Amino acid sequence: MSTADPQARELPEIYIRPEFVADDIGEAVISDIARPLSLFERLWDNNVVRKSSILLGLVVLWQAYTVIFDVEPLMFPRFSDSAVALWNALVYGDLPSKIWFSIKVLIYGYSAGLAIAAVLVLWATASRIGSDFLATVTAMFNPLPAIALLPLAMLWFGLGTASLVFVLIHSVLWAVALSTHNGFMAVSEPLRMIGRNYGLTGIRYVAKILIPAAFPSILTGMKIGWAFAWRTLIGAELVFGASSGSGGLGWFIFEGSQNLETADVFAGLFTVIVIGLLVENVIFRNVEARTIVRWGMSRS
Amino acid sequence: MAAREQAAGVHPAAANAEPILDVDGVTLQYKTKEHLITATYRVSLQIYPADRFVLLGPSGCGKSTLLKGVAGYLKPVEGEMRLKGRTIVEPGPDRVMVFQEFDQLLPWKTVKQNITFALLNGGRCENKNQANEIAREYIHKVKLDRFEDTYPHMLSGGMKQRVAIARGMAMEPDILLMDEPFAALDALTRRQMQEELLQLWEDTHFTVLFVTHSIEEALIVGSRVLVLSPHPGQVKAELNAHHLGHTNVGDEAFAALQKRIHDMLFADRILEEEVVAHV
Amino acid sequence: MSETGARLYLRPEYENSEIGAADHGDVERVLPLFERVRNINAVRKLSIVVGLVVLWELYTNVGGVSEYILPPFSSTGAALLDALWTENLLSMIGNSIAVLLTGYVIGIIIATVLTTLAVTSRFGSDLLGTLTAMLNPLPAIALLPMALLWFGLGADAIVFTLLHSVVWPVALNTHTGFLGVSDTQRMVGRNYGLRGITYVTKILIPAAFPSILTGLRIGWAYAWRTLIAAELVFGGSIADTAGTSSGGLGWFIFANQMDLRIPYVFAGLFSVIVVGVLVENVVFRKIEERTVARWGMQIQ
Repeated sequence: MSTADPQARELPEIYIRPEFVADDIGEAVISDIARPLSLFERLWDNNVVRKSSILLGLVVLWQAYTVIFDVEPLMFPRFSDSAVALWNALVYGDLPSKIWFSIKVLIYGYSAGLAIAAVLVLWATASRIGSDFLATVTAMFNPLPAIALLPLAMLWFGLGTASLVFVLIHSVLWAVALSTHNGFMAVSEPLRMIGRNYGLTGIRYVAKILIPAAFPSILTGMKIGWAFAWRTLIGAELVFGASSGSGGLGWFIFEGSQNLETADVFAGLFTVIVIGLLVENVIFRNVEARTIVRWGMSRS
Repeated sequence: MAAREQAAGVHPAAANAEPILDVDGVTLQYKTKEHLITATYRVSLQIYPADRFVLLGPSGCGKSTLLKGVAGYLKPVEGEMRLKGRTIVEPGPDRVMVFQEFDQLLPWKTVKQNITFALLNGGRCENKNQANEIAREYIHKVKLDRFEDTYPHMLSGGMKQRVAIARGMAMEPDILLMDEPFAALDALTRRQMQEELLQLWEDTHFTVLFVTHSIEEALIVGSRVLVLSPHPGQVKAELNAHHLGHTNVGDEAFAALQKRIHDMLFADRILEEEVVAHV
Repeated sequence: MSETGARLYLRPEYENSEIGAADHGDVERVLPLFERVRNINAVRKLSIVVGLVVLWELYTNVGGVSEYILPPFSSTGAALLDALWTENLLSMIGNSIAVLLTGYVIGIIIATVLTTLAVTSRFGSDLLGTLTAMLNPLPAIALLPMALLWFGLGADAIVFTLLHSVVWPVALNTHTGFLGVSDTQRMVGRNYGLRGITYVTKILIPAAFPSILTGLRIGWAYAWRTLIAAELVFGGSIADTAGTSSGGLGWFIFANQMDLRIPYVFAGLFSVIVVGVLVENVVFRKIEERTVARWGMQIQ
């Protein structure tokens, strides 16, 4: 029914009806206005409970599939075999030292990357040419996969840890610098003006106003930088392995695949996953909880 | 349950019809992380065509929850709600809602497209041309002709609400549901919007169910006001306000009614602290 | 307020009858040409690039750096032109991109299926969350040895590896985007009677578009890195089987490094950068301009 000329149509009139007032409102008969949820309801609502059940289900499926269909263990080992291989490598083998090697290199590269990023960002904050330089250089080097630099790095620094660190710095630097710089740029006018109102300038201004205000962005950048660094490290160690390099977690995986010890490969992959999970869900989440979540700045 | 009292000022009923919306003893509940909350308890009301029906009450009286129930987003635990005789079971374009939040407009559509989207998807229009025509008509009614191809993020709060109202009215629903639509606007814009809403109503006498926590707004905008008392929401009174508008705001009669409602809500009940999220 | 405080100074009212254009001149004036040019971002950034290139050329020519470590810009440029003209660099790049696109598109399809499942049921949502949390930290390149085992020494193995690097970021970001759609917009959609597939395509996808676009960007970035890395490693594996090099950009870099043709290595790196920059700043930015920016939407 389209709107025709309102004058021509018969408009409904308001139906004026008697008022009433309830003089006495009785107590609600429902026993509680609010009642707590039952234990089962709350348990099933718990993310961890549900997700653990799914994980368990997947593991059961894995084992069942490989056993029932008698899958060639070289192609796809059973869960039980992989678990045993992992256990052996951890307890009797040299997996722990390989893990430590990888983590050590990662820490060197990550910290160096952070330091350089800090310098670049400070310069970018202080002057327009610094800002342009950062934007230009990031735009040029960010799209370059760190792995592609590995041949060059090996040429410059040889087949040692230095090459790995160089490549790691590259994978961390741009993500962190970009996020931090963008975060700084996005700090709201009112906050900046307050800082200057109190006479804060230079380093103190950066440390007391910009860094806290931009912390969500900084943290995101650090997370992305970590993710890139971890991937690059494992990948680089794999490539190294192809060129007879040294020992780390990636090299452990490569070795396993060369020796057709697929269960070892799975064990190695599992370790990579666990470390990644630990760092993201324990370390980073903890930092987040004590900072941006507590300050109400998290965007979840 | 409660004795009904006929207050003064009763007018002879117009030769009228069936209620368009019948809420019959409705109890609404919802879950939060730890609790099950009863928002309204056995609320009954009838809305007739051309009513500007207002749900008025403080936080915790269940007015927004009741509105969402009428809209079909919540099922009653007790009782039933019927629109033109049919039980309400799910949301639908016959009860279009205008929300309080500005992001009710789809940001990826222009002003005009927001309206045509509703018309085409809500089944009101079959083809684009018809939808465009109707959209233009209602954009004109809310005086935003110049902005028909603008994206919402460039409009002010008041303009966004006008688009939302135009969109709702263009659908020509059986009943227009409004959830404190002016609460997020500054006082001057709010007053302007109230006036515009009343002018729009003069045009077509549409039926509207309007939620507010402001007694003054209820008396200005509404023709019939349902007063809800909180924790849980129960019907305290239904009063007539069809004779009151912006021009009466200073009057004795207006002030007296305001005081009467205020006393109803705050004098004979101890104000409880809000334990849970307000409705 | 003190008893003997200042009292209100009542003074006469006044009103200005004539407010005219007066002598303040133009309220807006155009800046001089030099300043306007300097304000163009592209101009400033290009100047920096030019400056860096000049520095590079000077350093290599004057500083006596071995050309096996850092060749001059001029010889890199010459190598690049030579490779484009005589060595089919362009078709190698084409090969790389073709493989990438295959993996990218299939990955997006898988991600869409997973996300749709996740949106329609809580089990699907948990499943996606669990799978993503477990598999996202795993560098795709670590899967390559196994992929080679399963799919043989061919492009299939690379595509499989690429899938892994695309699916999780795209699914994760899309899912987060969907979750972040405001309740109000969801209710608006349901109010018009939208359900199921139409609800997803007409409300969820546009509303979540900023996140979806971010996911697509990250997926692309991971895929590009993984591809180059895979071609580097892969190149190593088939270096001995003569002839069958389908050859991609990564292999080009690896092969030239083996032959110590360093200017060509640099030319290859440069190509990697150019492709990355083109896709980021042309393709994705254009999409962003026509959608997210035009709609004034921010990432939640």
